[in-house]
Amino acid sequence: MRVLIVGAGLAGLVAGDRLRRSGAAVTVLEARDRVGGRTHGIEVAPGAWADAGAAYLGDRHTELLALLAEHDLKTTPTSTEGASRFELGPAADGPLTRPGRFPPLNAVALGELFDRLADLTSLVDVAEPWHTPGASDLDGTTAAEWAEANLRHPDARVFFPLFLGEMMAADPADISVLHMAFYLRSGGGLRYLNAFEGGAQEYRVDGGAHRLCERLAAGLDVRLGSVVTAVHQDAAGVRIRTEDGGAFEADRAVVAVPPVLADGIDFAPGLPATRSTSRTAPGCAVKVHLVYPGPAWRDEGLSGWSVNARGPLLSTVDDSPADSATGARVGVLTGFVTGAEAHHFSALPPGEQRDRARAQARRLYPGLPEPVAVHVTDWIADPHARGCYAALFGPGDWLRLGPRLTAAHGRVHWAGTETSTEFFGLMEGAIRSGRRAAADILNQPGA
Amino acid sequence: MTTADVLAIFRTVLETEDIAASDDFFDLGGDSLLATRVLSALARAGGAELTMEDFLMAPTPELLAARAAGAAGAVVS
Repeated sequence: MRVLIVGAGLAGLVAGDRLRRSGAAVTVLEARDRVGGRTHGIEVAPGAWADAGAAYLGDRHTELLALLAEHDLKTTPTSTEGASRFELGPAADGPLTRPGRFPPLNAVALGELFDRLADLTSLVDVAEPWHTPGASDLDGTTAAEWAEANLRHPDARVFFPLFLGEMMAADPADISVLHMAFYLRSGGGLRYLNAFEGGAQEYRVDGGAHRLCERLAAGLDVRLGSVVTAVHQDAAGVRIRTEDGGAFEADRAVVAVPPVLADGIDFAPGLPATRSTSRTAPGCAVKVHLVYPGPAWRDEGLSGWSVNARGPLLSTVDDSPADSATGARVGVLTGFVTGAEAHHFSALPPGEQRDRARAQARRLYPGLPEPVAVHVTDWIADPHARGCYAALFGPGDWLRLGPRLTAAHGRVHWAGTETSTEFFGLMEGAIRSGRRAAADILNQPGA
Repeated sequence: MTTADVLAIFRTVLETEDIAASDDFFDLGGDSLLATRVLSALARAGGAELTMEDFLMAPTPELLAARAAGAAGAVVS
């Protein structure tokens, strides 16, 4: 059996790897000049890598951990030791230092916010969100409308969009309440998704998450620079065309790209319904890496964690690579620009983006030297991602798109983290979707 | 607000029955996010609005109940 995979991100590569091991002749078509999709490594110093895309994992990400072990890749714990910085009040007050990760906001008000969110997440039917009791109301309301109606305390109103930005790179106005509740539940619940130690941010992949994609791709026939424009099928097979005039034939295909990109492909016969709608929004994430000669904030008892109501960097994390074998020590602060802030930031010229990031780093960490480099990775502007962490399902999307997310279109199967109701939006979801797509093909009669 | 009331809140928030009156919330897998949910439940039950610092200094059901009772008493007097 011949199988064509569209998209050399984690989902497509996992599907391709599984199918190849089962004896299929697999070719992977990738639009970019690299594999990895929304995992991407930046070499911030010789031999030291930072994750420009997906980065974190935890113990519940069992498929990812197994795959890393299989490919001899190690994890490194995310460092959160020390005090945090918070700039959540009036600009004149400047940032405050607090022990641990808890922001200087009213704890009871945040507790009420999390109680409300926990009630919603416990309600959701995670395997089939469109069957959640009250689904049409939850799907028809935006998270911003929900917050307006439900959050009374000003501290809860300040914190809510920052929380959604961190958890799912979403502007509350872009997503339905159903998508918010689904996403939080799919990722393991509020506490798990939010936590570093004992949660979804416990580790990073040593050397960068992209390394896993490179190892998977090494065993596969991957054609880089192949932008797929058409996927046609009939009783004889599938024919795929690429922008540069390439033509490929196979018995089955797996389309493993984000939903909005899938809708840019000409399918014949046409899809029974689109994979996205006008309300489907890009995940709003720009990642900024501030590179220092070492993690000097640790010397001041700071963890590198900050949460800020004013951007561009709404949160920062110590993502310093583990000390390399050569003894080179590099400090990396990752700044997350998410939600509505990411749209504003994305529109700025690159020089201005770096200047604003530097200015905020000076305000947050006045004891640090100037960064030796600033890298900005804008996933919203990336034509081959159209957003990160994952597509955001807007009002009406789950009811319209949900039931067809994984349903094959004849010989064409779907993968990608947006097709996994388990760990949606995460690397773990991508892997599980790739496994599922491969199994769907292998389970076909005559396969 | 009795120790038994706080114990019941710990059990709900941590989703386990296996908690004693002298157990430290943060040793039981509780983190600051879950701690806020204990504090909001205490406030709803009429046990006064405590801060995260209060909780960190009184992290067991018996200590937190005593602190909540003290805080509520202070408000009344």
